[in-house]
Amino acid sequence: MTENEFDELWQRAEAESYGQRLAAEYPAWRRRQNRIITVVTSLVLVVAVAFSLHTLQQRQRRDYEKVYCNRVGTTDVQWAALAAEMLME
Amino acid sequence: MKRLIIILMLLLPIVAMSQSDLYKRYASRQELTVAQVSGFKLNESQRVDVVLIVADDEAAWQQLAKELNIKGEEGSVSWLGDSKNPAQRVKWTGAPVLRVVASHARRTVALYRITTEAQYDALLDYQLNNMKQEK
Repeated sequence: MTENEFDELWQRAEAESYGQRLAAEYPAWRRRQNRIITVVTSLVLVVAVAFSLHTLQQRQRRDYEKVYCNRVGTTDVQWAALAAEMLME
Repeated sequence: MKRLIIILMLLLPIVAMSQSDLYKRYASRQELTVAQVSGFKLNESQRVDVVLIVADDEAAWQQLAKELNIKGEEGSVSWLGDSKNPAQRVKWTGAPVLRVVASHARRTVALYRITTEAQYDALLDYQLNNMKQEK
């Protein structure tokens, strides 16, 4: 066996060994990926649900949900009070 | 993809609130101060959207009163108005309407958007209950 033939065989053996290692580790890597995706998705869902519940709770507590106004310097509470007072006019 | 749709469905009620066409129509006018109170609470289960228009001076009020066909110069007036054209008086048929309350003293018009019979009843109850409490 020449030195070149030996190198060629060595490289082929190395490549085959890497392929086998990759094939062996792929399922474990895939499982880890799935676990990460599941954890991240769960976290996003939990945050979304918590935010929705918080908003709903706030909505139940307050006399209004949101106020828009075309002037700065006015408060939301004042406008909600005016909306109530106008019904007494 | 399915997960994304679920998240969007959860967030949809939160982003659904926005400025109404009625608010936008008056908010662009310099002589008027306009506010939209979204989800004004009438009782534990009923809420309405209210647009409040305050004329900044007497001239602006006269113009607004003319546009909304408000007669007289004292006290306050109230009527049911068309949901897109509050000046047009309508009768309650179950279709969306505006309960319009105009006060000369405050130079203010309040437009309560009513879309259901339950809101209509709740608004009347709210007025009656609070008037009783005031007496």
